[in-house]
Amino acid sequence: MKLRKVLALGMAAMMTLSLVACGNGNSSNDGATTQQASDTNSDNGGATDTSDGAAPAEGVPTYSQVNVGTDYTDLTASIKWIHHKTDREEDGTIANLIAEFNKVYPNITVETEAVTDYAEDSLLRLSTGAWGDIMFIPAIDKSEMGTYFQPLDSLANMSKEINFADAYEFGGTSYGVPYMANAQGVLYNKAVFEAAGITELPTTPTEFLTDLQLIKDNTDAIPLYTNYAAGWTMGAWDAYIGIVTDGDNTFMNQKFAHTASPFEDPGDDTGIYNLYRILYDAVANGLIEDDYTTTDWEGCKGMLNRGEIGTMVLGSWAYAQMVEAGDHGDDVGYMPFPMTVGGTQYVAAGGDYNFGINVNSSDDNKTAAMVFIKWMTEESGWCYFEGGYTVDINGENPPMYQAFNGCTVMSDQPALPGEETLLDDMNSESELSFNAGGNSKVQRIVEAAATGSETLDDIMADWTKDWNDAQATLGVEVNN
Amino acid sequence: MAAMTQSAKPKRSFGEWLRSRDGQKVLVMIAFMIIPLLLLFVFTYLPFAEMFGFSFYNMKYNGKRTFVGLTNYIKVFQRDDCFGALKLSLYYMGGSIVQLVLALYLATVLSFKVKGGSIFKGFMFFPYLINGIAIGFIFKFFYTRGFVFDTVLQWCGFQLDNLPYWLRDQKINNISLVGTSVWRYFGQNMVLFIGAIMSVDAELYEAAMLDGANRFQQFKYIIMPSIKTIITLNVILSITGSLSAFEPPYVITSGANGTGTYFVVMHEIAHTQQKVGLASAMAIVLLAIIFVATILQKLFFKYVFKSADDENLNATARRDKKLAKYVARKNNKLAGKAVR
Repeated sequence: MKLRKVLALGMAAMMTLSLVACGNGNSSNDGATTQQASDTNSDNGGATDTSDGAAPAEGVPTYSQVNVGTDYTDLTASIKWIHHKTDREEDGTIANLIAEFNKVYPNITVETEAVTDYAEDSLLRLSTGAWGDIMFIPAIDKSEMGTYFQPLDSLANMSKEINFADAYEFGGTSYGVPYMANAQGVLYNKAVFEAAGITELPTTPTEFLTDLQLIKDNTDAIPLYTNYAAGWTMGAWDAYIGIVTDGDNTFMNQKFAHTASPFEDPGDDTGIYNLYRILYDAVANGLIEDDYTTTDWEGCKGMLNRGEIGTMVLGSWAYAQMVEAGDHGDDVGYMPFPMTVGGTQYVAAGGDYNFGINVNSSDDNKTAAMVFIKWMTEESGWCYFEGGYTVDINGENPPMYQAFNGCTVMSDQPALPGEETLLDDMNSESELSFNAGGNSKVQRIVEAAATGSETLDDIMADWTKDWNDAQATLGVEVNN
Repeated sequence: MAAMTQSAKPKRSFGEWLRSRDGQKVLVMIAFMIIPLLLLFVFTYLPFAEMFGFSFYNMKYNGKRTFVGLTNYIKVFQRDDCFGALKLSLYYMGGSIVQLVLALYLATVLSFKVKGGSIFKGFMFFPYLINGIAIGFIFKFFYTRGFVFDTVLQWCGFQLDNLPYWLRDQKINNISLVGTSVWRYFGQNMVLFIGAIMSVDAELYEAAMLDGANRFQQFKYIIMPSIKTIITLNVILSITGSLSAFEPPYVITSGANGTGTYFVVMHEIAHTQQKVGLASAMAIVLLAIIFVATILQKLFFKYVFKSADDENLNATARRDKKLAKYVARKNNKLAGKAVR
């Protein structure tokens, strides 16, 4: 009897104690987000003790120092990679890639985990510290790269190895390598264009709108499918700002935040104004789907494939999915965005998610991760397979980019030193969130055009006001 | 208790007291209390206090925080979208009234002997068991042009061209969304009402029937007063629920097209615009609004049900008066007859 009581009490005490421990654990993690610098050495927990023996004594090599296929082939390590490609995890593509990798590096075990809600989940995991060794870098401010991720190489060295080396550059150091790159163009159905009588691809917004009208008049297809309901597909329109709209690869990250009236109509069918004019006019003239509030992202892939949709404004990453979605993959085409600046069509290309290496991992794991990343970029052929614009500087582009011949391909230049977080701050303060999930502002254009509640000029004036207010709040220097 | 232990044995060490019956009692009480209290503290009050703290900062999830005092609260009151979104709650409140009336009506009907009553109860309760996200997806397709709802209406003779776009038309899309929430929750309200009605003594109905009361009078004078506590509870829960409506607009329309409720706006500000401080302030303001709404409702119901009791008393008084008059008249008549 007594013994039982003591036991029960002991249990109760233990449970309370473990709860208190939980509470402490929570608060220390909270602390981690604010003062990461102090706890870098306390958080490496599970990741460190996975590899023992056969370790090269010196530190972690830089990206350019690794020769894929010859160096470190006897390295033994077990690394974990978390990524967002749930579809590729399921269809075995990733397992096959790792099997190929293990033919060259038999002793490096790569464990993978595909995370469904990656954009949010990865941020949470990042703050816990012990998430694995390789992850696709989530949306964090560039100034914090060094707190979470291992520097890969200097930007100068990196630029000789890969395209888009500056995607995650901070203070002259690169922290990420894109697994593939996207060119920003427009998806279209070749058969629909032919049936509508369009012989040449449009090169200006006005031509594009005329072509959409032709599709409406001559075919049963939906000229432009907005994918309004999915949300992020609307935010995808932001990707053309800068290089495509102004032919200027410094606009987005360097000039945009300092521009007094970026949403003004330049009057020559270019600029952000005319980018969104395409959307506004298409909606106002009934060139989009009938009921835009119930669009279905999964369903639209097959519809484009079968020729029920004429065009969709999305990055090149979507091309492969549209081709696979039905029997008419050959009809799916990809063209540069219809906007011509000073006689040239510009194409923005940029890295997709970037591989990043956990700064808290052991040296062996970091080395193995570095080798794996470089192998994935140079040898795996994954980027080509996904229809991506090549990341490896010596790589080859897939045939879908034919229509891009003659266009100037550029990628956005990084922000000026000292202003790395300026655009993030402006996005947040103005709540317009360009290229950062600001879907509702583009949805507003569709709503306004459909109901006639606002003109495009009203909206652009509103955006200008928000932008200018944010500039005033943050004390940003404004140039005209 | 202390006096008792002292009188039993004047000088007991703490260890002895702990082993005594009283000591054990106290220990067990503390042991049982401390677990729920700790859970409550760690998972409710502590995060809440943190959030309250956040509301005074200009901060993102990661990165620097700057103390800005009450600026966030001032912004909440200055912005159109915050309080504009609260207007949408009126739709949901209207919906919750419909939902409660419907639930009360069906509960009353089903609490009398109805053929297949249990099956109806089951069917009507079923939507409550479905996950809110799943319901969102169901209704997304339900309302899609030419899909389920339009097809059903076409069977009833409507022409597709005359039907509105349930989610596109900004005049009715909020009503469509409220419909999904009514569909989901009225079954649950109904079951709560039935439970309460079951506890009413059946003899009361019998007695009322003998007195010639019809079904509606039975409802008004027997059922309503007996279940007023549960009615009050359901109304308060529905109204506060309408203030914080989130799932239907978030899943079905993602808050676009004029359907962004306060919660959806808050979510957008916190997670897309990363203004965590402002969103925290919004949450605190909403909490205050819900407090006020709850207190107002409490006062309202105190008033309503008090006057209902008064009315009963009045009715008795009136009946007595009438009876007295009748008796008096009869007496007069009798007296008249006697005179004649």
